[in-house]
Amino acid sequence: MTSRVFDWIWHVRGSVALAPGQSRDDAFDRLDPLFDQTGTSRARFDDTLEFRKRAQAAQDKMAIFDGGTLKIEHGAAGPVLRYNLTSRALLFCFLAPLLFLAFAQFSIALSKYDKPSAAEAAVEKKKAEEVEKKNAERPLHPIDTFLGAPAPEKPKKDDKSKKDKEDDKGKHSPTPAYVFAALFAVLYVAGRILEDRLIKSLFKKRLLGL
Amino acid sequence: MGGVRVGNRVIGAQAPVTVGWENVPRVEGGPVKQFVFTWFQPTVLFALIAFWYYAPNSIATASTAIGIGIGFRMLLLALEWVNPRHDSWRLTWKELVVDLFYVSLGYTFLGMIESYIGGGAMIKAIQGSFDWDKLAWFTGMPLLLQALLISFIFDFGQYWMHRGMHNWYPLWLTHAPHHYITQLNINKGAVGNPVELFLIGLGIGGFFDFLPRAALLAGTLGLAVGTYQHINVRFNTPRWWRFLFNTTEHHSVHHSQDYEATRSNYSSTWIVIDRLFGTAVDGEAELLGMEGGRRMSIPEMMVYPFTEGWKTFRERFSKGQLPPTAVPAE
Repeated sequence: MTSRVFDWIWHVRGSVALAPGQSRDDAFDRLDPLFDQTGTSRARFDDTLEFRKRAQAAQDKMAIFDGGTLKIEHGAAGPVLRYNLTSRALLFCFLAPLLFLAFAQFSIALSKYDKPSAAEAAVEKKKAEEVEKKNAERPLHPIDTFLGAPAPEKPKKDDKSKKDKEDDKGKHSPTPAYVFAALFAVLYVAGRILEDRLIKSLFKKRLLGL
Repeated sequence: MGGVRVGNRVIGAQAPVTVGWENVPRVEGGPVKQFVFTWFQPTVLFALIAFWYYAPNSIATASTAIGIGIGFRMLLLALEWVNPRHDSWRLTWKELVVDLFYVSLGYTFLGMIESYIGGGAMIKAIQGSFDWDKLAWFTGMPLLLQALLISFIFDFGQYWMHRGMHNWYPLWLTHAPHHYITQLNINKGAVGNPVELFLIGLGIGGFFDFLPRAALLAGTLGLAVGTYQHINVRFNTPRWWRFLFNTTEHHSVHHSQDYEATRSNYSSTWIVIDRLFGTAVDGEAELLGMEGGRRMSIPEMMVYPFTEGWKTFRERFSKGQLPPTAVPAE
């Protein structure tokens, strides 16, 4: 009972009505090519088809699913194909934001651990300023001056506050990890909705012989 | 399958490879589509070079480069959707998520590790211990020449590292997982074992002193050329580009299921380096991968160099102590 509260995260369930007059065997025969793929094993008995996929090919139409059960039931409105499919890809995409939030915290912790002492920071700052000054003092090649390329600027005193802000973030910025956590969250929502619709549409088309 | 003779080798004997530019199909479609997919690559390249050459110093920074890189990749993803090269390379949701996982590892966890043990850190350590300054030969040269040198020096190193990966077993172990991809899409360049990514990122450029703007120009050359290596889009690439630069066609030959074809087109940006050393094959392939195109999962990619290396080590040094794997019929 409790698992059904959460298992929608990686379970895709649905139903598709069979075509009028379509028998159980005819329905499974039409769906069979979907399971006749590399890495797919299936077993069919009576009104049920169970399948498992392992190392499925990228262009397998059901590549996102790792296993599942298809059952033909007789409802009030006629025979219906009910499917319950599992997807590790959906589960890992759901969990990926947590992984990247952990990476973000790791980067913050690492920056704190690796923070240079005041003396070391001062030496590094001085080196960086010397490099910038050296760059600014180098004259541009006459060809670049002729073509209008901007000359390197001398470091301004105003830039110091900007540099201090950058130093506060530390050596390892958590920003990329936060961005990817958000990206995977969006991808999961999009995938959960999209793949649900795609598989329903695929089963419908195959049952109709399209 | 007979294959085609290219130099001393026969390409395409094991899996189909189209050899020769005259045999590579052109973009199909109306005049507008033809125009767009003929001029897209050179226009983007020269526009980006002009941007980095003339941008004010406040904009010519690494963060701008990252933003442009992300925007460019998203545009190319849209092009893949609109004009895919092969249906069999179609980008599905699962492929996109798996590719992005590898990309995201590179930008986060692996990036952190790299800052301690990567090429940049190693060069700094070497310079520190020998008390070397950066070699300042190039800083007086014109910007574009500096950019060209940075790009070429790095690609020269990449060529030999890549060629070494295809010729020396210990390096091949790190690179083999990447060759299990069965299609080319924008982010597939990141798919592979992290040890390989560390190795392929090593370069001696850090020993040289360049103007920062030149480094940004070189980076944009890599972006505007190298990104097309793994892409599911067909372009009518200009002849001069195909002579100088690596293209999708070249890289598809390198990823082909044909063994001899994989031993070609090692460079990242400058295919002219392959021409120099006799490893260039002009052509394209659609059937990619290893072991007949079997899929390698994320966990397997991470451990493959170590598990396969251990297997080989045991086989080599156990000689006779392990039970034979094949029993004679008699």
